[in-house]
Amino acid sequence: MNFLRKKFSSYYFHPKIEFPERFDRREYAFIFFNEDKMHRHISFPSTISLETYLKMNAPAHAYYSSAYYRNPSAGTMKEKEWMGADLIFDLDADHLPDVENLSYEETLEKVKLELKKLVSFLTEDFGFSKKDLKIYFSGSRGYHCHVINKKVLSLDSQERREIVDYVTATGINLNGVMKERSIYKEKFRDKTFEIYPMEGGWRGRIAREIIKFFHEIKSMEREEALSKLMEIEGIGRRTAEEIYNALTDERIKRIEYGKIDQTTGFKRIAKPLIKKIAVSLHSETDEPVTTDVKRLIRLPGSLHGKTGLRVTKLEIDEIENFSPLRDAVVFGEKEIKIKLVKPINTKMMENEFNLEKGETKVPEYLAVFLIARKMATL
Amino acid sequence: MELFELAKYPFMKEAKEWVKNEKVSVEEILFDELYERARERGVRRVREAIEDGIVGEIPLVDEADCIMEIFSYPVARMIVISIENEYLLRRYALAEAKKAYLHMKIEPFEFIKKLSEEFGIEINGNEIHFLDYLKYAPTWDFKWKLVNRDLKNGYVKIEKNEIARLIQEAIRKKIYDELIYAFAPPEVKKVFKNEIMSIRSKFSFKNKEIKTGEISHQYFPPCIKNLINSAKAGLNIPHVGRFTLVTFLNSIGMDTEEILKIFSSSPDFNSEKTRYQIEHITGKISATIYSTPKCDTIRTWGLCYPDEFCKKVSHPLYYYRRRKK
Repeated sequence: MNFLRKKFSSYYFHPKIEFPERFDRREYAFIFFNEDKMHRHISFPSTISLETYLKMNAPAHAYYSSAYYRNPSAGTMKEKEWMGADLIFDLDADHLPDVENLSYEETLEKVKLELKKLVSFLTEDFGFSKKDLKIYFSGSRGYHCHVINKKVLSLDSQERREIVDYVTATGINLNGVMKERSIYKEKFRDKTFEIYPMEGGWRGRIAREIIKFFHEIKSMEREEALSKLMEIEGIGRRTAEEIYNALTDERIKRIEYGKIDQTTGFKRIAKPLIKKIAVSLHSETDEPVTTDVKRLIRLPGSLHGKTGLRVTKLEIDEIENFSPLRDAVVFGEKEIKIKLVKPINTKMMENEFNLEKGETKVPEYLAVFLIARKMATL
Repeated sequence: MELFELAKYPFMKEAKEWVKNEKVSVEEILFDELYERARERGVRRVREAIEDGIVGEIPLVDEADCIMEIFSYPVARMIVISIENEYLLRRYALAEAKKAYLHMKIEPFEFIKKLSEEFGIEINGNEIHFLDYLKYAPTWDFKWKLVNRDLKNGYVKIEKNEIARLIQEAIRKKIYDELIYAFAPPEVKKVFKNEIMSIRSKFSFKNKEIKTGEISHQYFPPCIKNLINSAKAGLNIPHVGRFTLVTFLNSIGMDTEEILKIFSSSPDFNSEKTRYQIEHITGKISATIYSTPKCDTIRTWGLCYPDEFCKKVSHPLYYYRRRKK
């Protein structure tokens, strides 16, 4: 028997599965080792029958539907009869720019930042309580955030899209967020922007971020400030100097009150700040999971066939300290002989591993991880 | 509610109860001379709804005026049902809702709050919960998109007139939902035979006008083809994608029914809602016919998958027209 399958099977004899609500209304789907085909349209009358299935088959990947149906095992959507769906956000490194050259740990740290932003939107703006949110490490390169609140179940995909557009700042109207005003001073006309730090929604968020930004600039050394400003697209040295020179204490005070007299290049500053606070949920072309009301999601507690890591639940307060290569590991210390395809530097279970290419002995947890990632063979 | 108010909002539960308590039979409403005015007004309600897109006003001076106005509403409903045309039914529901909106705009806030309760919209001072907001807000309009609203702790800040607009949508939905499953007594068709005939013939004339030109799918630009394929595969299409697709198909002369068919594979397909949006975008129930976005815009939306021919054009409609020649 295949090594990974054997290991997975041993896990599924004592798994820690977290069963979804409305368990028997869900569709389940599996991919087995050495197969590409997905086995779909499966339903289970009881949690025991699902556990038995996992034990018997030790699948490489296990999923359940975010939707619940009248007939979850029916073959077509129409026969399934859609009843509702959880609201799920899928944060994945694949959706982030500039992660190709990062290590696994660094990549996941980046996704964590997105997760924290998302949680802030969901709790502060949308008013969900922390109890409504369940967060899972995906077993691979991301996190899932499930909103468990019966009010969201019946949202249709367009209503879900409004929520996605909100957290990603899609369709935001800059002119509504900060208002341009003309002031008449004696003989000449001057322009000014108004921002609204006390307000809710994006208006307030952007305003507070802008204020923070100007504070940062003010606290920096001249050259550092200028280069930070020039990082912004469309701001050259002259504009940067103009902005920096105008930042007197009095100016900063006025900005805190929401008045921005500096109009040159100002809109240019706002745009990257929006990008910074918005959540990167999906790339420009593909559709986010959230708006899809019939998506398959990894079963919490199951193992990910391409890492051997467990889809693991974490509390909101644990986000900061969560480390997948420690907290999502299920296998033991027993030594196993493997052949490395290339040299490896990684940290797992708090142990540093600096291994040369070729044969070596490693703990079982690392063996599973490397073999699943196709970085080693038996 | 006072009789004057019931006359302004005859679709409310209280108005229906009032009618019930009057114990007037359907026969009386249809045949008794006493209700001649209600019948005339009922016909006018339907006619104005279909021709002008909004039910017009009549002066309500005394109680008798109000009573006739209230009774004219069930009469109008019976006529609309008897016309047996879903498009007109929707148009009627919207026209009644628009009339109510004009009234609501000048009502005191407390009254608006009372109305909203019947639709399950909970108003908290000047805020409503975002789930209620999403249910009824016309979010295809940038101003109404949630991202452009003041949202805090689950509540959206909202002005009185905006609440009225949400209630308008709730009313439209309520009237439509009621009518779509309702039956009218067969006598209605006899009593209003001429009116029903004339509306039907007028409408079928209108319908013919819309159809133009032969549609050649093979000349669609790749962005449109891609959107159609996604829609047919039941995939979710972003709002801007729906918008692009609907405006394009409308411009080349496809009618609502055909456009609707393309969207019908979506798992949460809601025929009524989709239809409403299509008709809004294509100007059938709104003042604006939105035009198809140009290539630049489609590109920034991430919907552009250009082929060789795309280099020669800057607008998906040019692509289609030039290739079709």
